[in-house]
Amino acid sequence: MYEVRFHGRGGQGAVMAAQALADAAFVEGNYAVAFPWFGAERRGAPVLAFTRVDENKINIKTRVYNPDYIVVLDEKLMDFVNVAEGLSPDGMAILNSPLDPEEVDLGMSVKTATVDATTVALEVLGAPITNSAILGAFASATGLVSIDSVKQGILDIFGPRIGDKLAEKNARAAAAAHDRIKIGKCKAERTYPEAKKWLPTYQEMPLSLATKPTKTDSGLVGPGSSVENKTGSWRTFTPKYDEEACTNCLMCWFYCPDAAIKRLEPPKKVGFDMDYCKGCGICEEVCPADAIEMVR
Amino acid sequence: MAERRIVTGNYAAAYGALLSRVEVIAAYPITPQTFIVEHVSEFVNDGKLDAEYMPVESEHSAMSACVAATATGVRSYTATSSQGLALMHEVLYVAAGLHLPIVMPVVNRTIAAPIGIWCEHNDTMAERDSGWLQCFCENNQEVLDMVVQAYKVAENTKVLLPVMVNLDAFILSHTVEPVEFPDQKDVDEFLPRYDPKHAYLRPKDPMVVGSFASPEYIQEFRYQTEESTQNAKEVIRQVNDEFAEKFGRDYGGAVEEYRMDDAEVALITLGTVSATTRDVVDELRDEGKSVGLVKMRWFRPYPTEIIRDIASRVKALGVYDRAMSFGTGGPSYMDTKSALYGHSTIPVLGFLAGLGGRDVMVKDIRLMFERTLEAAKKDRVEKEVTWIGTRGVQP
Ligand code: SF4
Ligand code: SF4
Repeated sequence: MYEVRFHGRGGQGAVMAAQALADAAFVEGNYAVAFPWFGAERRGAPVLAFTRVDENKINIKTRVYNPDYIVVLDEKLMDFVNVAEGLSPDGMAILNSPLDPEEVDLGMSVKTATVDATTVALEVLGAPITNSAILGAFASATGLVSIDSVKQGILDIFGPRIGDKLAEKNARAAAAAHDRIKIGKCKAERTYPEAKKWLPTYQEMPLSLATKPTKTDSGLVGPGSSVENKTGSWRTFTPKYDEEACTNCLMCWFYCPDAAIKRLEPPKKVGFDMDYCKGCGICEEVCPADAIEMVR
Repeated sequence: MAERRIVTGNYAAAYGALLSRVEVIAAYPITPQTFIVEHVSEFVNDGKLDAEYMPVESEHSAMSACVAATATGVRSYTATSSQGLALMHEVLYVAAGLHLPIVMPVVNRTIAAPIGIWCEHNDTMAERDSGWLQCFCENNQEVLDMVVQAYKVAENTKVLLPVMVNLDAFILSHTVEPVEFPDQKDVDEFLPRYDPKHAYLRPKDPMVVGSFASPEYIQEFRYQTEESTQNAKEVIRQVNDEFAEKFGRDYGGAVEEYRMDDAEVALITLGTVSATTRDVVDELRDEGKSVGLVKMRWFRPYPTEIIRDIASRVKALGVYDRAMSFGTGGPSYMDTKSALYGHSTIPVLGFLAGLGGRDVMVKDIRLMFERTLEAAKKDRVEKEVTWIGTRGVQP
């Protein structure tokens, strides 16, 4: 059995990637399962997905805590998420990164494959969606599944959701990434701060979780606590705002899921709070005046 | 001086709200509860009760409004029955989960299909895992008294759970009988204003109520409900005693024992059948049979320890249910067996009668006792669940 943990962000397709890998392994005659793990946060929040593959039937239904492989779809994630946590020392990291493996620092030194999946995706798909390209990299870096099976997995899983044509393109992205990996060993220089969670006993927990603003080891909880959650660090794409074109219709202000758009005193119209803008692009989608453009 | 009047169970349930000085009422009428809604709306209209009355468009909204009102820190009230309770189902869990001490009389009515308006306990029994506490009443006096007691139990800081006060459709809701009305002054002393410290919505003192919780929190959250439910056992006893002291009516707490001193067998009952059973016990005693009544008053929390104690004193137990959990037995019967497992080996028999409002007659109750006495003699259970008065079914 081998176990894979995918790290991505809501909307990047980590779950579909995990499923496509399971499908690829299944096509090769294995038993495989894939499942997501995410909280209630919306687009842009870190998400996990898992794939388990074995020759025999897999019964275990727990999450994966000591993966053999980690796959990271989002290059910025490694800066503040300890993606290698629990990774087997004999395991391997497959990362979306333009850097060489030796330049990447995961806080532990393991066999690492890097691929500039974002560039591959932009070239092949015309969009920075890396979930298919990274699977091509996984196939060539690990040799656990053939690229043909990965392409089949992408067609099987992506096809019903995004259409066969786009799925074909994604399969091509996987093939393109397959030949563009760099293999080496990453650095172990940084230490990630220990992730602290507020885990009160039932006695310590406010009854029914009715919570006043409370300082805990893991920060503020209760009303106003999202102020501490600077979602701006999630951002890969940034809204570029054209005040001239803006009609001040406030659609963007209404739709921004993180309340990162502020109404300004006239004659100014709206402003963007980069501490909280997570780069989801919803404002660009809803703006009727084309006054917002997402740029990398 | 407390006055005595002859009133319906519905009036008693409504008057209990008045005496408890509820501040928000949100309700939707359904037969046979409709008169409760009408009476409380009249109390408000006539200036007898200083409350916000919200005529809502459904029971789902009624419970939602009570949840919101109680979350702001006021005492709220509603009442329902049968399908209305079923429509509230999901919001019942919100009220209990958020520890909002709402009190709600439920006029126990059969739940469709088939459509019927008469007494059966399958409406509230379906909600026995919702986290609500539940008590059952035997007469209209008890209905009034229990609304007042229910607030006191519900709002106790060790409990903070909502309570259903159950009264049998028509047998209480539409029946007049004498009721003593306590003085407002005495009730005010007994039941102070609701002043929550755990959950309230006040903009100047912000608090998250009803938050999202990930798996790291929900199990502790559930354990809080379990602990509150367990705590309620002691609080029910205290409130009963305090009430008895002040108003002179002692209901015995979670369970009332009637002629149980030297009883060989006992019948556990819920609701109005308890009243008829008193007379049957007297009759059988006169005939020299050693029987007693165990009136189950608070079904949630289930009085496990008390039932174990009773089982240690008798040779067999019969359990009467007015609802069926299909394929097994009545809910009270199952809970009794579960409480006794590993603690007692006496025979425990289950009896079903009176479903859909069919009258439970003296002869039916006599049969329950006969069977229980037989089981005591043989020291074994020959038939676990007996349906009484069902055409085509041998009782
Ligand atoms: S400002 Fe735009 S891109 Fe940024 S979080 Fe809001 S909607 Fe998303
Ligand atoms: S949606 Fe576009 S036009 Fe409307 S306020 Fe926002 S930027 Fe301006």
